[in-house]
Amino acid sequence: MTDLLYWLQGAVPETPAPKVEMPPWGETKVVGKPVPRVDAYERVSGSAVYPLDFALPDMLHAAILRSPHAHAVVKSIDTSAAEKMPGVRAVITGKTPGTDIPWYRSRGKSYSKLFDDRVRHEGDEVAAVAAETRAQAYDALKAIRVTYEELPFVLDPQKALEAGAPAIHEGTNRYGDPSKYERGDVAAGFAAADAVVEGTYSTACEIHAPMEVHGSVVKWDGNRLTVWDTTQGVFVVQQQVAAALKLPLANVRVIGHYMGGGFGSKLEAGKYTVIAALLAKMTARPVKLFLSREEVFLNAGNRPANTMKVKIGAKKDGTLTAIEFLSMGSGGAYPNGADTSFLAADLYTCPNVKTLDENVAINAGRARAMRAPGFPQGAWALEQAMDELAKKLGMDPVELRLKNVPKVSQRRGNQPYTSTGLAECLRDGAKEFGWAEAKKKAKGDGAVKRGVGVASGLWGYGGGPPATVVVKLFADGSVNLNSGAADIGTGTKTIMAQVVAEELGVPLDRIQIEHADTGTTQYTGPSGGSKTVPSDMPAVRAAAVEVREKLLKAAAEEMKLPVDDLALSNGEVVSKQDPSKKLLVTAVPGLQRQQVLVGVGTRGPNVEGKVISMFAAHFAEVEVNTKTGEVTVTRLLAAQDSARVMNRLTFECQVQGGLVMGLGLGRTEERVLDRNTGKMCNVNWHDYKIPTALDVPAEQKVHSVDLVDTECNTAGAKGVGEPATIPTAAAIANAVHDAVGIRVHDSPVTPPRLVALLAGRGKKG
Amino acid sequence: MLPSFRYVRPRTVAEAVKALSEPGARAHAGGTDLVGCLRDEVFDAKAVVSLSGLAELKGISATKDRGLRLGALTTLAEIARHAEIAKGWPALAQGAAAAASPQLRNQGTLGGNLCQRPRCWYFRGDFACARKGGEPCYAVEGENTYHAIFGGSGCYIVHPSDTASPLVALQATARIAGPKGTRSVPVEKLFVLPAVDHTRETVLEPGEVITEILLPPPLAGGKGLYKKVRARGAWDFALGGVALALSMKDGKVWSARVVLSGVAPIPWRVPEVEKVLAGRALDAKTAAEAAEAAVKGAEPMSGNDYKIPLVKGAVEEALLSLA
Ligand SMILES: Cc1cc2nc3c(=O)[nH]c(=O)nc-3n(C[C@H](O)[C@H](O)[C@H](O)COP(=O)(O)OP(=O)(O)OC[C@H]3O[C@@H](n4cnc5c(N)ncnc54)[C@H](O)[C@@H]3O)c2cc1C
Ligand code: SF4
Repeated sequence: MTDLLYWLQGAVPETPAPKVEMPPWGETKVVGKPVPRVDAYERVSGSAVYPLDFALPDMLHAAILRSPHAHAVVKSIDTSAAEKMPGVRAVITGKTPGTDIPWYRSRGKSYSKLFDDRVRHEGDEVAAVAAETRAQAYDALKAIRVTYEELPFVLDPQKALEAGAPAIHEGTNRYGDPSKYERGDVAAGFAAADAVVEGTYSTACEIHAPMEVHGSVVKWDGNRLTVWDTTQGVFVVQQQVAAALKLPLANVRVIGHYMGGGFGSKLEAGKYTVIAALLAKMTARPVKLFLSREEVFLNAGNRPANTMKVKIGAKKDGTLTAIEFLSMGSGGAYPNGADTSFLAADLYTCPNVKTLDENVAINAGRARAMRAPGFPQGAWALEQAMDELAKKLGMDPVELRLKNVPKVSQRRGNQPYTSTGLAECLRDGAKEFGWAEAKKKAKGDGAVKRGVGVASGLWGYGGGPPATVVVKLFADGSVNLNSGAADIGTGTKTIMAQVVAEELGVPLDRIQIEHADTGTTQYTGPSGGSKTVPSDMPAVRAAAVEVREKLLKAAAEEMKLPVDDLALSNGEVVSKQDPSKKLLVTAVPGLQRQQVLVGVGTRGPNVEGKVISMFAAHFAEVEVNTKTGEVTVTRLLAAQDSARVMNRLTFECQVQGGLVMGLGLGRTEERVLDRNTGKMCNVNWHDYKIPTALDVPAEQKVHSVDLVDTECNTAGAKGVGEPATIPTAAAIANAVHDAVGIRVHDSPVTPPRLVALLAGRGKKG
Repeated sequence: MLPSFRYVRPRTVAEAVKALSEPGARAHAGGTDLVGCLRDEVFDAKAVVSLSGLAELKGISATKDRGLRLGALTTLAEIARHAEIAKGWPALAQGAAAAASPQLRNQGTLGGNLCQRPRCWYFRGDFACARKGGEPCYAVEGENTYHAIFGGSGCYIVHPSDTASPLVALQATARIAGPKGTRSVPVEKLFVLPAVDHTRETVLEPGEVITEILLPPPLAGGKGLYKKVRARGAWDFALGGVALALSMKDGKVWSARVVLSGVAPIPWRVPEVEKVLAGRALDAKTAAEAAEAAVKGAEPMSGNDYKIPLVKGAVEEALLSLA
């Protein structure tokens, strides 16, 4: 799991443990409080400059020509007409010197090039243009004449494995051997079971669809390149761009101050950045290249579709005896993760487990990590199967889950978790939701039936090194915080400021933040995997504590008191023994002499021999119209274990957003590919249906079980972004089953699918 | 990207008709559909002729016979919140309210709603399909979840409008101005089946514009509604729906007009249902029979036979809710 975000980079970097002492926080003054965002004004007033807003004098606009075919060979490209179009300053193709750049690397092999002469999905890059205006660039694309030789294509992973299937890459269509995991004896486990359930479940492919489309503005100064990118991690982009252009890291500066959402799709450098850099070099002008919304649908990642076969066995009392989970997914036309089995092997205590994940190439847009990659899909299958099992055993589904709460991570060598909030999430969640009462309530005798469902989940990645943070205390008592972390809209900056305020007793408005700039801030991993709080906040804390120690040491000399007796409060150094003895921070001679005190904090290694995971249980109530298949989700409740809540407001925002995204998977979202051409049908906002305000239940509650975890890291906080979306869709499907007795195996639960099942026209569970 | 075009804003209907008679001219009312089509390169425009300066196309007023005149530029939002429409012609008010989203209803007009182009994703997408003058109809062998179960041939769009079916049920008439003068066409006769011409959706000739919609007076003992089933709560077209205009007498249906939406290339009137209802009380049995009649003769495609139970359910629910 630790390599989850580093699969592109290879080795996991490390930073040394900080030297300062950081005992667990007791009662906190600022951390944990519902502090409004430090950049709220900028964000809502429009003064925050997002990369998409960014403009430089003399800047050109670029656009990319993409394959209209699902699979083809580019026979020839004639750019002569395009080059003569008004405003056009440069046209590049795979023939242009300097464009022979390998792309989509995995397992030491690259699967394509910046512009490959073989296009493997609709939207693959073929050529690009830079022009004076965006419209001129797009007009010029139309004047490029490409001759394609169309090839047979395949969209279904199962079919891609059949003999005679179109070969998408050399050799097999498999991305590596299927990954297998086994513990115990599954056959014996099923033989010992009193009840066994078995079923096949599938999830549709989802698109990240962030508000801000993907893209960059780039500018050269000699052989130094500056990139303003909408990204979750400036250092990842720096590394990949530097490698592509064969530049030293030091020559590539990536800035990513604000960004309009990524959900995992902006954890890597896009081809667009490198294409923009090449065009900028050719024209000696800054270049702006942002994708259109359609291009984002086609070519900026997705949550792959998965088909999962689940079999679970249990004793009469609910004790699980065996789980088998076989998953098939597709990274798309180029390799990316598509595994879903982790939950099946780790969420519940079960001695006998066998999982298998297949990942197969198809001629469709490549997947990218999407909010808890693999986990909502896994939960969709596992948690519906658990619901079936509860029914078969005549047990309450909450009780069945409580019966099997794990104490150790079985999937990771039986190491204990630093904290396990699954039982609390289930129990407290059920109480807050009114589960018992809701279960007893009548389903309704009209056409509309009511039902409730529960599902749980865990997210197996607790953050870790590397992260380096610098905190500077200036002579006037104001503070500058310097961290490479991107704030992807989750409130990272606000929480960082809270940590500094907690340790230095400085008001939030006296803290300024420099962040997400490879030129001026320190290395950290990208913001993804729910790891930003658990990875970066300990480093922020360490830096602030170092500054405090320096300050108190200097004050102790002046005040002639032992350092241990001193504390910081409201801009003053105060004696704990005798609070009348105090000194203004700004009056500490050591600070005045140096004009600045600097603390450098690092993120030390995680605790040995234990694993860090976040847990969640989601509860849903739905109303199903049995005549029309319409579903209304009337209530959702998320009970989350993320240990310490760093900020109630941002925490709630994350969970509310997670629920809405889960609702999208469960109810509305589905990429549709045309079976006869391989092209995407719903490549726009109205046909690709993300939930609207009217689809979100009026009652959507967030509950944190607030466990104390002193081992996960020195902030005592586990992440929340991902676990908040893992079980939602499954909980909704379980509620639908409770309402009408129909198991919807395939996401999303739409009126077409459900009304067909209700009328006995579809596959029934 | 938008094509480049000339933009004209005539002051009179005559000027508008003249401008629209030029080849490649497109009428622009609220623009919510037109601009999307141009941007997505569904079709081209040499000139965009704004109707927004035409006072004759604005406003809602009573007619002499207690009916209503709706200027073609009346927005869907105005219709949805108009108290008299809600009372006398509820199916129309509900149809307008069920369309699109609040923003789009504030901007989109009734005329534009009736003349909007189909939403078939092949038509809107990068496919040279039959309706765009190419070949073939991609939906036949392709992804036809949202396509027609009635009235298709050569092309299987469903008409996207949520106001068209109510207007047909309410026996509304469209007034049309054109190069040859003005004419009136019942809304029921405004739309074109693909078997007649699969490249256009209305009978409007080049240069013609809808100037107003006339609603006859409310029926004695009138009841009506529009029910729409969709995949998400807003910003979504009908998977299936039904507009009802009934007149009741002594607790029984005296006359009925029943028009389905989301199932055919035109608002789909179902006379069989109207026959079932005539003279009957609105009870569960009647509703079930009517629902059955509503889908008689349906010809589902490979991916849309769910529309049969869905439409049945919608008709049954709609009728029972008026009982
Ligand atoms: C995302 C989205 C969702 C939508 N959902 C729905 C929905 O659920 N239900 C629904 O019914 N509609 C829906 N719509 C369509 C929307 O209601 C229409 O776009 C709107 O009503 C059109 O009105 P307009 O004035 O903006 O038309 P315009 O865009 O100006 O014109 C539309 C077309 O009609 C022609 N036209 C306009 N006025 C006249 C006239 N007076 N005479 C002749 N031709 C004319 C134009 O030339 C153009 O071809 C949706 C639209 C969008 C973009
Ligand atoms: S249904 Fe009509 S619009 Fe759609 S693909 Fe077929 S011909 Fe084109």
